[in-house]
Amino acid sequence: MHLGASVASSASSLCRTHHLACRFQDPDRSWIYRHSELIPGKRRGKVVPLRANFWESIKSGFGKNDNTTQVVEPPTSIEEEETLPLEIVLLERTRPDGTFEQIIFSSAGDVDVYDVQALCDKDNWIFQVGWPRRPLGKIAASLKNSYLVATLHSICRPSGSEVNDKKQLIGMARATSDHAFNATIWDVLVDPSYQGQGLGKALVEQLIRTLLKRDIGNISLFADNKVVDFYQNLGFEADPEGIKGMFWYPRY
Amino acid sequence: MTAMQSHGVSLPLRGSLSSRSLPRRYFSVSSLSWTKFLTGARNLPYPVAASSAFTLSDGELESRGFRVRRSPEGLDVGALNDVFARVGFPRRDPDRIRRALEHAGGAVVWVEDGKGGSEEGKPVAFARATGDGVFNAVVWDVVVEPSLQGIGLGKAVMERLVADLRAKGVSNIALYAEPRVVGFYRPLGFAADPDGIKGMVYSRRNQQQRKSR
Repeated sequence: MHLGASVASSASSLCRTHHLACRFQDPDRSWIYRHSELIPGKRRGKVVPLRANFWESIKSGFGKNDNTTQVVEPPTSIEEEETLPLEIVLLERTRPDGTFEQIIFSSAGDVDVYDVQALCDKDNWIFQVGWPRRPLGKIAASLKNSYLVATLHSICRPSGSEVNDKKQLIGMARATSDHAFNATIWDVLVDPSYQGQGLGKALVEQLIRTLLKRDIGNISLFADNKVVDFYQNLGFEADPEGIKGMFWYPRY
Repeated sequence: MTAMQSHGVSLPLRGSLSSRSLPRRYFSVSSLSWTKFLTGARNLPYPVAASSAFTLSDGELESRGFRVRRSPEGLDVGALNDVFARVGFPRRDPDRIRRALEHAGGAVVWVEDGKGGSEEGKPVAFARATGDGVFNAVVWDVVVEPSLQGIGLGKAVMERLVADLRAKGVSNIALYAEPRVVGFYRPLGFAADPDGIKGMVYSRRNQQQRKSR
């Protein structure tokens, strides 16, 4: 997969991204829990493509399944913008069956609790410790009380049709915080059929960026042995200065 | 400057460590009821949170001149900052501290010097926790006034903080402990790296080193 291949068409694809995004509708939901308030299902915020050098770091994960993945490159640096957009298109691609797909990162916390539970239930690569089956009400409460809920959604449009875009929750991560000094990342999940493409990495990277933008200086997490390397590659350090993570009467 | 601090010794992750006087070592008051739970702790049910399970009851603390407070109400933030400074933490913006206390979800326990009057609102021991109120919590800023360490005040706030979290149903209580205080938390029921789980912290410096390669 080469970033260079998409440069020539980046201008037009940029326009197309914005154009398409406006036309996507959220499917009907009986209950969408928007972080910190209940809203009817509605997409909000600017959809903005990602910085080019961010792609350099996760480039190796993309383009495994098809060669028609198109990476959208922004003309300007996001850092220069005053506010971090709530939604970011991570990638767009056309699948072998002609379906057009977009993967969207969002920090708005727009998430259907049933979708979260379904994601938890899948036999996914769990980046997070301890996973008993959780009751719906508690999941909703945990999301409500989280400082930041980040999601990955896949939006698919079957080829040749203008309606019935399918939106699916394929990843989630959340962070609790005291809103001042510390944040702790919990529950990093990626749907098994979307793993191995660098999306987990992208999810956590964006989550970190959002936290740093909100001036939360200390970002921590607890990592299962198997995923310590994954987080190390993202800039996390285990046992910094010998400091140990401790748990109260763990059942492991 | 970023500092990792569950406990009363600050450890900046960036920049050099400045020389400072370290707080006195903790001597945990051994208590039979707690050590009983330690043997084969992983397999036994965790202790039920009842006030009778506390090493020092509220009444015993009162008789020693200390009043336990279970909410941030009435806490003198400036005085808290003073305690932070005396244990070696960096002083922090009082407005930020207030914001952190507001968003603690009620998980704040502190001990007030019971003399009252001018000592009102002044913490001699303190601990708080962040979390989602349902599943997970992380304990931060456990401090005891250096001149009053070693008499059970740190244990008192920790026991009550854990009890309050357990009462809400939070089953996953974690913290970050500097090597020299791991021993303080063990008798309270905390285990380090259970099943190989590692506490990790994000470091911007690590991030920059990575990108330059």
